[in-house]
Amino acid sequence: MNDMNDMENESISKGLEEALKSFESKTKQVPVGYFNQFELDIMQKIKAEGQAPQKARIVTLFSDHKQYLVAASVVLAIATGFLFFNNTEKNITSVAKIEMIEIETLPNELIEAYVNNNELVAEVEWNTAIETEAAFLSK
Amino acid sequence: MTDQALIIQFQNGDSKEAAFTQLLKSHQAQVFFQIKKMVVEHADADDIAQAVWIKVWNKLDGFKQESAFSTWLFRVAYNETLNFLAQKKRLKLHHTQNELDHSLEHPSIQNALKETTIQIKLERAIAELPEKQRFVFMLRYYEAYDYEKIASITGTTVGGAKANYHQAVKKMTELLQQA
Repeated sequence: MNDMNDMENESISKGLEEALKSFESKTKQVPVGYFNQFELDIMQKIKAEGQAPQKARIVTLFSDHKQYLVAASVVLAIATGFLFFNNTEKNITSVAKIEMIEIETLPNELIEAYVNNNELVAEVEWNTAIETEAAFLSK
Repeated sequence: MTDQALIIQFQNGDSKEAAFTQLLKSHQAQVFFQIKKMVVEHADADDIAQAVWIKVWNKLDGFKQESAFSTWLFRVAYNETLNFLAQKKRLKLHHTQNELDHSLEHPSIQNALKETTIQIKLERAIAELPEKQRFVFMLRYYEAYDYEKIASITGTTVGGAKANYHQAVKKMTELLQQA
């Protein structure tokens, strides 16, 4: 409180006062007729602005509630993303589970037969590929 | 006619130009000199003052007269001046400092003004004040505005305005006392 009173009663030294008076005199110097001309210049500029083609004012829809719409959009995007990825994971897990279950339930003999058959097929395909390449190179 | 009546005339669309011109005539000098004390250069003050009045023309339709017109006008002037000074800083133009340095160097100017040193010291001190403090000081010291009005113009509290004034006086006193 005392500080406030001190601020209010802040006295200015004589030296500063003299300097401030000189400063005011200097800044109050204007060319003769300046303010009359200023008035004319301003009115001219205003008229010129009035005649210039006005830029179309862009009015956005729902501009008053923009921030709420943005917030709602963000929440919706997050929720959608969460649901999508959550479901995708479940699907993958389900598929993986189904596959695991199927493999687990298969008899060993069947698995062996499958592997052997496919090995054979792979070997035949590989040999065919080699022969074809050799034939091509010998030309 | 009072400012209030002129504003109503303007807002009603009755002789807008006439009403505006009257407001301009009543207030232009006071606003101009306040701006000039901030920027010192006449050309800069002229640019800012023009920007102020064009803004007034464009915004006066929406002025609700919740405060005095002069308060609102000086608020516009305050914003335009601070924007100008901020832009000038960004462009790294130090006209005031350069002019002061130049005035010290030029012998004809030195000879012409006997009180050059104290004036230059004061102008340097004023230039060193933060812009808001400077504006508050000018309004209080030269226009004798009360702190409530100054607070409305500068968007601060009464206490803030008083503190700004106090600090400005203190800094200028210290700088003037320096050799």
